Amino acid sequence: MPDTLLDMRGITKAFGGVRALDGIDLTVRRGEVVGLCGENGAGKSTLMKVLSAVYPHGTWDGTIHWEGQELKAGSIRETEAAGIVIIHQELMLVPQLSVAENIFLGREPRAAGGFIDFDAMYARAAKLLADLRMGHINVARPVADYGGGECQLIEIAKALSKNAKLLILDEPTSSLSRSETETLLGIVRDLKARGTACVYISHKLEEIEAVADRVTVIRDGTYVGSAAMADITAHDIIRMMIGREMTSLFPREDHPIGAVVFEARNVTCLDPHNTRRRRVDAVSFQLRRGEILGIAGLVGAGRTELVSALFGCYRGPSTAELFLDGQPITVRNPRQAVAHGICMVPEDRKAHGIVPGLGVGQNISLSVLGRYAGAGLIDEHRELQDVGAAITRMRIKTASPLLAIARLSGGNQQKAVIAKMLAPAPRVLILDEPTRGVDVGAKYEIYKLIFEFVKQGMSIIMVSSEMPEVLGISDRVLVMGEGRLRGDFVNDGLTQEQVLTAALTPLDAAA
Amino acid sequence: MASIQKSGPAAVSGAVAAPQEGPARALGRAQMKVVLARYKILVLAVVIAAVWILFTALTDGDFLTPRNLSNLLRQMAITGMLAAGMVFVIIAGEIDLSVGSLLGLLGGVGAILDARWQMPFPVTLLAVLGLGAGIGAFNGYWVAYRGIPSFIVTLAGLLAFRGILLGITGGVTVTPIASDFVAVGQSYLPGPIGFGLAAILFALLAASVLRSRAGRRTYNLPVPPLAIDLGKIVLTGAVLAGFVVVLNAYRGIPTPVLILLVMLCGLSLMARRTVLGRRIYAIGGNLEATRLSGVDVQRVKLVVFALMGAAAALAGLLTTARLAAGSPSAGSLQELDAIASCVIGGTSMRGGAGTVAGALIGALLMASLDNGMSMLSLDSYWQMIVKGTILLLAVWLDVATYAKSN
Repeated sequence: MPDTLLDMRGITKAFGGVRALDGIDLTVRRGEVVGLCGENGAGKSTLMKVLSAVYPHGTWDGTIHWEGQELKAGSIRETEAAGIVIIHQELMLVPQLSVAENIFLGREPRAAGGFIDFDAMYARAAKLLADLRMGHINVARPVADYGGGECQLIEIAKALSKNAKLLILDEPTSSLSRSETETLLGIVRDLKARGTACVYISHKLEEIEAVADRVTVIRDGTYVGSAAMADITAHDIIRMMIGREMTSLFPREDHPIGAVVFEARNVTCLDPHNTRRRRVDAVSFQLRRGEILGIAGLVGAGRTELVSALFGCYRGPSTAELFLDGQPITVRNPRQAVAHGICMVPEDRKAHGIVPGLGVGQNISLSVLGRYAGAGLIDEHRELQDVGAAITRMRIKTASPLLAIARLSGGNQQKAVIAKMLAPAPRVLILDEPTRGVDVGAKYEIYKLIFEFVKQGMSIIMVSSEMPEVLGISDRVLVMGEGRLRGDFVNDGLTQEQVLTAALTPLDAAA
Repeated sequence: MASIQKSGPAAVSGAVAAPQEGPARALGRAQMKVVLARYKILVLAVVIAAVWILFTALTDGDFLTPRNLSNLLRQMAITGMLAAGMVFVIIAGEIDLSVGSLLGLLGGVGAILDARWQMPFPVTLLAVLGLGAGIGAFNGYWVAYRGIPSFIVTLAGLLAFRGILLGITGGVTVTPIASDFVAVGQSYLPGPIGFGLAAILFALLAASVLRSRAGRRTYNLPVPPLAIDLGKIVLTGAVLAGFVVVLNAYRGIPTPVLILLVMLCGLSLMARRTVLGRRIYAIGGNLEATRLSGVDVQRVKLVVFALMGAAAALAGLLTTARLAAGSPSAGSLQELDAIASCVIGGTSMRGGAGTVAGALIGALLMASLDNGMSMLSLDSYWQMIVKGTILLLAVWLDVATYAKSN
């Protein structure tokens, strides 16, 4: 195979007694895009850490051949020098430094006397970005001036400046808008045409379909198979990933919808850095008992800002008139919101959801701790009883309620965070991207839980960037665009096109 | 940095010939780090034992006499009180640099109330404790509600509180201190009462261990082997008995040490079993997640600083009692000893982790070094160098083991 760039064979990696990877094969030819698929915890990231020598040679079994020679790299520096560059899900840019400084961080071109040769650096950075059709980026401006999509491309420019022959993109579009995603996919195709190979890791199968030549699927650390994209469908990939046929991804269940319980009028949020800009502009809506209200829109439409304002945690000036059962309520902080029976599961689980050092149980009881402290001391028996019941109800897989929550998988952490915000018995539960970074099996369970909640009379507001999820779960869908409400649909055969059209169309020309 | 580009390709070919034993050795080291992380307190106990053996050998046994151990514990009491308050400040992810000056100020106010205003001691005690909590809450207000970094707020306090002390004392020592005030710092608990208290404490601890076993069984949690729990109980009993026997062989448990032990029990209970304690750990672990759970994080921070202020008040009163005078220089640099004690005792500077017991064991190590080196008549500069080195090593241990466990 003369055109084989990378050939990983029988990669096995164990942590303690647990085998995270067990005999995985991965082959990439020159100028080929390989989609790497698998549920969370399947071992994709571990495999890439083996490849990029985050785990140095000798700490795992198997062989890696790179351009026909065995690779025994001991550090990332060595694999990068060989032309293997990984772009992580969390971007590694320094916001205060300029675009060019970020691209050449640690490898700045030098002029005489050891000073940085800024002219050369800017010229080379501008050339790299122009090649990526991103010529409009000013390489002298700080990275902080650019949005998520542009930052992703700056990372790619940085990788290319290292003469990457193989680019590993780990969930590159998780925070990109649709058009940014399109741009990114276009660039991956460009790179392919120029001979740069790519391993593309994503949960979004439509992207894999759009860009990959071949797909390799792994499950629970084992190799499932590899096939040319032309020969298989997304449905086949899902079956390979989960190893079982999933009857329906969205377990829609009938449930009664009652009278209006919650109403928000004229929610307005100003940009904390630029108060002339409205992140949310006079949005009003009603929520009924037992209703699942989906909020759709593109990234930056103001959805997270809207629900943050409802929960009293928007970071900036905001105004809102809120009504519960027709009575006006004041929500200035999350504590007041919880007291009124409005709870929120935040979007960013790691930053805003879990307290990593505390146990699973202590995380769950954090929202209602006062309940267990009659005479000053926490009644740990009652606490454990309730926590145990919640763990059973939410089907959280944990060895013990005392286990540190950071040791659980993403899906189980998410269920624990939901359990925490369920403990105060809310009437309105806000879920912001409830299945982000959660594998297919856990997603399904979270959907089932949502239906359980509404059957008990709870009302749900769900923000989601995954259109199939919004359409598959919601009773009603609000569509936002540029901070405004652009659509309010009853979900009765609602289509993706209808929602997207609404999201992109201003209601009045004056906006 | 340009050299990286040049050495790159060479490094790859060099990697092919990488030595094979490297990973194995790295694994051994990783395992050792995990053990160190889990049994940090045990490691510390071993270090203290080693230090004691060393000093005993160097002083021909003078170090390990009941009289000296009694002195050592009395010296440790004041740093220990500050550390017991500081540990919560650090767990909450903050720092308090003002406690040395605050200790001096509150000790000075206590001395003035006593010597100049002839207040009865209980009034002085309550007034100073209240003032301490109030000033602590003042620090906490600026940190929690005005968003000023605690480093800056308490650095301001470090300067200002010392200034106020110099102002109200005129820079001179305040005397005389009434005898009942002095007794708090210099008296001892009669032997039999010491034994009685130790017996009660032992019974409570044993009961709580057994109760926790029963509770764990009820909720199907893993129950540690009975032998381990029994071993723990026996070991605790032996330490308690040894502690009282040794101190009673001199004059009994010193009152400051008794106060410190009461603080240890009370604050440990607060840390583990109260809503406030749990919230302090949660805030240090992830402030935003705790806030979004509906917890009033600002108030918790304010209370943590108020608690620190009250601890500084106790430490200040004991300093005045021990010196039988209010000194304008009392407490200088003690904030650093308190912070060092916490860190040596396993409190993480990242917040979210630490124990009162650990902080006090850290304080015990610091006091042992002070005491032993003084007995050897080593110059004080040596004491500073040794303590600085120990502090650096302790933090290195914390950082090194954290990187591994993640």
